Amino acid sequence: MAKTILTVDDSTSIRQMVAFTLKGAGYEVIEAVDGQDALEKANHHRVNLVLTDINMPRMDGLKLLELLRELNHYKTIPILMLTTESGDEMKAKGRAAGATGWLVKPFDPKRLLEVIAKVIN
Amino acid sequence: MTDRKSEDHGSAKPNADELTTNSLYEMLCNVDAEEYFMNIKEDLSQVDRLVSDAVNNLVINFRYISKLTKTHHDMVLAIEKMAVPEKSVPIIELLEKQMVIADKIEQELEMTVTSLQFGDLVTQLLAHTVKQVENLNIELQHIDRQADWKNGRSSVQEKHEGISSAVKAANTRAKKKPVVQQGMQMGDIELF
Repeated sequence: MAKTILTVDDSTSIRQMVAFTLKGAGYEVIEAVDGQDALEKANHHRVNLVLTDINMPRMDGLKLLELLRELNHYKTIPILMLTTESGDEMKAKGRAAGATGWLVKPFDPKRLLEVIAKVIN
Repeated sequence: MTDRKSEDHGSAKPNADELTTNSLYEMLCNVDAEEYFMNIKEDLSQVDRLVSDAVNNLVINFRYISKLTKTHHDMVLAIEKMAVPEKSVPIIELLEKQMVIADKIEQELEMTVTSLQFGDLVTQLLAHTVKQVENLNIELQHIDRQADWKNGRSSVQEKHEGISSAVKAANTRAKKKPVVQQGMQMGDIELF
């Protein structure tokens, strides 16, 4: 059975590029437009990995990460941050909040799939 | 910097009932500066709309080309299957060449996935720039309200200090730049 990935980004083009890459590799993809939307979708679907942006309206990616880690199902599943932010301070915040990894945009589809394959299992 | 507010200086104060929204607006802010910064913001919004429109079109084209490539790839495979029992060497050779081309197109499309992310980077940078322009406007308006510039009592030095202080205050308000990328090369990956 295909694994399901929740991709969260307020940029339509980024969501489409991520979905294109992941679907091409056989993953099921759920898209969310911000942290709030992601939280609602995360509660209604069985997700195997979350890939989230940081700077988003309504709820940012770090807050989403904190709230997901409080939910039983999301305590251990991989949560990757995919963002333009590359500062050490921000990475440290992500790490402290329970992020599995940090990917700086723009992403390369092959490398993204390699990282996902590594952490999703 | 000219100030509409100063034009009223010395004239009888208008009755509150007589104040229209416009005149109140003119009393509260430096209209020239306000209009100037509004124009910059409108220009930046126009750039954002153009970039977003272009990105949307490029993504639609990308997805269509990608679908066609997959169909083409599948067709070449199907024709190859039919050609092999016939042992038609020229057709098989031609199909192998087609296969190489199809693979190359797929590789190029994969590379396009990275480049097509430029829209998100540009949008974030534009939003940051708009915020900086807004901050500078707010701080300049603040300095303008306090200054004695219009009656000629301020020295050049005082004017410079006033502007510097507005720029510094705007910088303090500014959030950290969200995009530091200088090109569209792939970003770093770090697993914790």
